[in-house]
Amino acid sequence: MTKNILVRHETILAALLVVALMVLTTQSSHFFTVENLLNQARLMAEMGIVGLGMTFIIVTGGIDLSVGSILGLVAILLGVFWKNVGLPLPVAMFLAVVAGSLAGLFNGFIITRFKVPPLIATLATLALYRGLAEGISESRSVRGYPEWFYVLGQGDVWGIPTQLWVFLALAVVAIFILGVTPFGRTIYAIGSNAVAARFSGISVNRSLLAIYTASGFLASIAGVIFVSRVSTTRSDMGTGLELDVITAVVLGGTSIFGGRGTVVGTLLGLMLMQALKSGLLLAGVKGDGTITAIGVVLIGTVIVSNLFRMNTDG
Amino acid sequence: MLKNALLASAALLLLGGSAQAATWMGGDDQPTNPLACDATPPTAVAKPYDGGQATNPADLKGKPIKVVDVPKLIGIGYFNATSKGIADGAKELGNVDAKTDGPTKANIDEQITFIDNYITSGVNGILFAANDPVAISPVLKKALSKGIHVVGYDANSQPDAREWFINQAQFNGIAKSLLDNMAKETGEDAGIAIVTSTFTTPNQARWIAEMAAYAAKCHPKLQFLETVEAQEDNNLSFNQATTLINKYGDKMKGIFGMTSVATPAAAEAVTQAGKCGKVAVIGLATPNAMKPYVAKDCVKSVVLWNPVDLGYAAVEVLRAVVDGTLKSGATSVKAGKLGELQVVNGSEILLGAPFVFTKDNIGKFDF
Repeated sequence: MTKNILVRHETILAALLVVALMVLTTQSSHFFTVENLLNQARLMAEMGIVGLGMTFIIVTGGIDLSVGSILGLVAILLGVFWKNVGLPLPVAMFLAVVAGSLAGLFNGFIITRFKVPPLIATLATLALYRGLAEGISESRSVRGYPEWFYVLGQGDVWGIPTQLWVFLALAVVAIFILGVTPFGRTIYAIGSNAVAARFSGISVNRSLLAIYTASGFLASIAGVIFVSRVSTTRSDMGTGLELDVITAVVLGGTSIFGGRGTVVGTLLGLMLMQALKSGLLLAGVKGDGTITAIGVVLIGTVIVSNLFRMNTDG
Repeated sequence: MLKNALLASAALLLLGGSAQAATWMGGDDQPTNPLACDATPPTAVAKPYDGGQATNPADLKGKPIKVVDVPKLIGIGYFNATSKGIADGAKELGNVDAKTDGPTKANIDEQITFIDNYITSGVNGILFAANDPVAISPVLKKALSKGIHVVGYDANSQPDAREWFINQAQFNGIAKSLLDNMAKETGEDAGIAIVTSTFTTPNQARWIAEMAAYAAKCHPKLQFLETVEAQEDNNLSFNQATTLINKYGDKMKGIFGMTSVATPAAAEAVTQAGKCGKVAVIGLATPNAMKPYVAKDCVKSVVLWNPVDLGYAAVEVLRAVVDGTLKSGATSVKAGKLGELQVVNGSEILLGAPFVFTKDNIGKFDF
């Protein structure tokens, strides 16, 4: 029992995170300061929120490549609803999030109703939503939001960045749902064997619709936070986000084939990636070196974790 | 039912968006100031200093400083040249440790993250070329509030987010140079298209706005057919230019390349389409990239400034700010081997007049 906990992927990852933090601290005195850690947490929040939804999806054996485009689309719609249509900002925010959730629902619809593999479906919507964002915005940016809006992305509540509170709240909910509730068990069942799950009476389609909509919803929240952080909306926001998020989720131990994975693992993976990005830059490594390092860490972690699994499984 | 409704609304939005896009050329909304149609030099207008200030900067006069340069992206010839200029200036000054680091795509999200992390690492000065003037301003203001000096070059941020901005050439001067050279090649009554980076990149948007104003004043018969985005990507620029050639056929007599990546790509597209001499390509580009096309007479003139000098001036100005020799309200600054540079528009430092490379002089330059 104890051996099982010790060789779980998440434990290995946690140990790796601690080692990385210790090594990076020795490389630069600016790294392990409260200010830097809070700042990194602020930068990490958007990726983290999207990663929560992505964990559920990858556990079912699916994938959602359109999250970056949904983020960009929501950012544009927020600007359009507020400036061009003239709605009050809170209403515009709400409608933009609704639109993003609908985008996620559309993903789930194509995947469940038309049996399109998630990779293809979300690859297509990646282009579709990005194109919509470019078309609607005419690539102009919207600026000049009121001051209170910036508290979300740039402000602090009791010394902790606002978006970190949002992220933590959503993370707690996600951990609870996936780890404790029957719905979470359903997700694992679908990932392990979707056919068996269907024949066991689990409504696979409804569950998938729910998690893809949730992914769209979380990407929208991240989009609103992002606009607040950079104080402008642009149609190319969020490009490449999906790859970073998927890296964090897979690093966290979620199997790309489905059936295995935890939200805690994703959080650890995120923290490790962000720590590497920050610590390596402070240590003087340039951008390309950091990307290489993250790639090496990802491959290494997956190999080590697979080795341990092969030894413990019969 | 739901699917139909979603598809219908998506299609409507797309149509609505694209219908409006046809009439907009990509300029920004700021006021324009077109120059005279002949060679009358522009009148200098004095403006009060409008830059930001670093809060309680450390007194590092004469002492070594650490500077990071975060251009729009790394890996293209133009920013390799500015980086070289910065390195040259740093070596000449002797007490500046300059490093260039930045995103591999012209992406504002990543650029902000880079700057944010360098603020934490405790640099004394930041040089930047912004991908988006508004989005980059919060993180630059954060740098200023931490006592870090901020100087921009090539692409501006909002004025109060940096102390000084090195402007390579007056925006209206570039517009005049580009349009006069284009009209000389295509004639006054021609269809023109523009390949730019993105519609929100500050310098490109400013140039296009000034070009539209100058064309309306001095070349009213030129018709602007379309402006397309190519995001400083070589492949995309080539594809966009080819699409323009196929779309407009003989109606299009000239293409403006607004980035140093777009102009050679457009020239290549024109060459491969066999339209050398029928479609003029004029734009901003590094001489090395354009030498083959100028040699073939496909491109007659290339407008630019010297990006190596631009980088050099940037680091010299930053040193002057750190040392306290350049303060708000100054009208000129001494920038090493470049001599005295004028201050225009309140907090912009002008590098000089745009330079036109032609077949006669392009061989003398190597960047």
